[in-house]
Amino acid sequence: MKKARYLKKQKEKEFIAALGAKARVYAPCLEDEAVLFKPAEPDSTICLSRPAVSSPKSVIYPQSETLFSFRFKKDAEDKRRTLVELDDTIEVPDTIIFGARPCDARGIAIIDRAFSKTDTPDPYYLARREKTTIVTLTCPEPSSGCFCTWVGCGPAETSNSDVMMTEVEDGYLMEALTEKGEALLESPILEDGTPYEAQAREAQKAAHERMVKEAGETDTTPVDPETFDSQAFWEKAAERCLGCGACTYLCPTCYCFNITDETVVDKGERIRSWDACMFHHFTLEASGHNPRAAKALRLKNRIGHKFLYYGEKYDGIIACSGCGRCIRGCPVSMEISTIASALKKNSGTVSGEQ
Amino acid sequence: MSFVGGKELRIVGFLCNWCSYGGADTAGVSRFKQPTDLRIIRVPCSGRVDPLFVVKAFISGADGVLVSGCHPRDCHYSDGNFYARRRLEMLKRFLPFVGIDARRFHYTWVSASEGQRWQQTVTDFTKVIHELGPTPLLPQNKTLPKEARA
Amino acid sequence: MNLEKLKEIVRTVLPSVDVVVGYKKGFDALHPVPCFLTSPEEIDALVLNPACVHNLAAYLPSLKNKAAVVVKGCDSRTVVQLAQEGLIKRENVVVIGVPCQGTVSVRKVLSAINHQPVIGASFENDTLVVKTKKGETRLALHDVLSDKCLTCRYPTPVLSDHLAGEQIEPKTAGKEAYQDIRDFDARSLEERRAYWLKEFDRCIRCYACRNACPLCVCRESCIAETRDPHWMSQRATQNEKMMFHMIHAIHLAGRCTECGECERACPMGIPVAKLKKKINMEMKELFGYEPGISMDDKPPMYTFKVEEEKIEEHKIR
Repeated sequence: MKKARYLKKQKEKEFIAALGAKARVYAPCLEDEAVLFKPAEPDSTICLSRPAVSSPKSVIYPQSETLFSFRFKKDAEDKRRTLVELDDTIEVPDTIIFGARPCDARGIAIIDRAFSKTDTPDPYYLARREKTTIVTLTCPEPSSGCFCTWVGCGPAETSNSDVMMTEVEDGYLMEALTEKGEALLESPILEDGTPYEAQAREAQKAAHERMVKEAGETDTTPVDPETFDSQAFWEKAAERCLGCGACTYLCPTCYCFNITDETVVDKGERIRSWDACMFHHFTLEASGHNPRAAKALRLKNRIGHKFLYYGEKYDGIIACSGCGRCIRGCPVSMEISTIASALKKNSGTVSGEQ
Repeated sequence: MSFVGGKELRIVGFLCNWCSYGGADTAGVSRFKQPTDLRIIRVPCSGRVDPLFVVKAFISGADGVLVSGCHPRDCHYSDGNFYARRRLEMLKRFLPFVGIDARRFHYTWVSASEGQRWQQTVTDFTKVIHELGPTPLLPQNKTLPKEARA
Repeated sequence: MNLEKLKEIVRTVLPSVDVVVGYKKGFDALHPVPCFLTSPEEIDALVLNPACVHNLAAYLPSLKNKAAVVVKGCDSRTVVQLAQEGLIKRENVVVIGVPCQGTVSVRKVLSAINHQPVIGASFENDTLVVKTKKGETRLALHDVLSDKCLTCRYPTPVLSDHLAGEQIEPKTAGKEAYQDIRDFDARSLEERRAYWLKEFDRCIRCYACRNACPLCVCRESCIAETRDPHWMSQRATQNEKMMFHMIHAIHLAGRCTECGECERACPMGIPVAKLKKKINMEMKELFGYEPGISMDDKPPMYTFKVEEEKIEEHKIR
């Protein structure tokens, strides 16, 4: 049984600074009115009272990343041949994500599967993943749009995190869940957490109950195939969608990408960057044909991937953590929860929003 | 030859094929001496110049951008430069709003016979760019060769 | 805002069009959403209040046949601009105008209630009453109006086939509409550059601003995404993002009707509408032109004068 530790609220900044001496620390920082995961600086304002606008997946899976750089050179012996020099060294520092939420940690696990549970695991992603420690904060209150318990997650969910932080009297209980987490908690700034354990359990239980009240227990009803294949259903569901990528880029579980070679004369880099299946040209083929040009089909694909296809591949897991960011961030307030719910009920149309 | 102390800055020029490029040619044929910082891109008409080109040049690290076309009323295509005048005036007023010095962008009208005038334009503009110094907008494109950054 | 009058108008208009675009309830009381009515039974679901911020005219170019659209003052300018440019046919659109005293900025409201989840909200004259789990907060509507509404010159739609309410005079008549732009221009070059580089740092190139814009027409040829020619790198750096936003603003020169949707749609809260406002200010000064006012106008970038009164030849020194 790993010993719990306690972090006094006043010592929060000191602790983060101490962590920062050995690793890059990403924490939710307040910038104007937005809360964003950024490297914690001495003058950053850390905000743990509400979820960040975007998820910290960009720490392990950056928006754009150079896979390797290359250079074309003429073969000195045979001028007709051109040689390519490749440089694919991967260098990643130790990184800590401080103040993630359970939905964020679940998102990272979902992305983990795609990049590691394959015959060709991704070395770039895995290099960062191995060097990252995740410190997750129990969510005391559901935010508007949250529905994590409905998809099998929860505000006190510990899986996929290295350390669990729970707000207690005047501070946080810090519980190590893995070896990485234990190493992180070895700090003289932290005190013994045993006196606060009972309080933390209560807080976690209460948080879970609040969320269940808001969004319901895990719903394992399968997606109804008839509704899923109904063109009319999707056309109605997608009628106000703008086809931008806000939902995808804010989502903790989305991981589609694009690869581009960017060359200037004789030198270049191969870059991997985020892509979104909601963009019109996501499935545009070289011939000019686009099988998913219509908004309805793109929405069907995105929701289908999260609530159907991913589960078919990976033991029935829903590739959605119920964080509600897509709902809050969408310019026209599309609700993935309502659409997914309608898919399971075989009602044929998207039910009215509550 | 370079104007100031041997270090060349990068100035991109968009010249219309008929008047300005001809004017630059006249300057060359007459052996007029000018700084060599300017790199010319020939376009069929100043009306072809999309503000996109100018912005791309600045974002990629150009220290100055010059656009030159036929005199208004003398456009080879009748009215291309009338549109260009409006577009480029709008662009000139917009650039300082995002922190790009308006003096780094200049648009003018030089006809094919005005070799002397072309030499003067290039010399003066290059001088101004050297006074302003290298662009503070650093290109973050790592594949640009190191030598290109002043 | 007169919801009953609106419903009455929709009831009479619906039989003659294929769809009526209006607002209905969303996931909470501060987030109504666009809805597309095709049958009379759906009319009762309509809502109309100062939280109805979306510019519904943005959907017009993609609607195939005859459509009716509910527009506020700013949105009506979009309809005019779209018709001016031939992106919609005036005969195919029935404009249901709604005189508007201002819409709320959800960001300002959330900031005022400390980002609590909203359980309910109601509008009583000049007050917004917001209910959260912690209780009720009464906010003066004027304090939480969108910035664009504070200098609104067209509260009554400039164009309408039906008007759901009485005409409203602009409150800000005489007030300088572009004061914030002039103030910003008074800052040093370095300050302005630093400001935008900082703002664009958090841009995630989701293109919500671009897709929400009713007048963005490049669509599949958007320079932000083309590979041939490859205008912009896929690298998520400040320079690339700055380029995208600059080009987006320039493409809207003399066309932006200042509906503010770009700024509202941004999930990161970047003040992108400022860029477009700056160009609009220049368009007004140079050509005396305001987008989206009269159907017979021609956008200034589409036309020219042989003698331009306000454009002087620039000297290098």
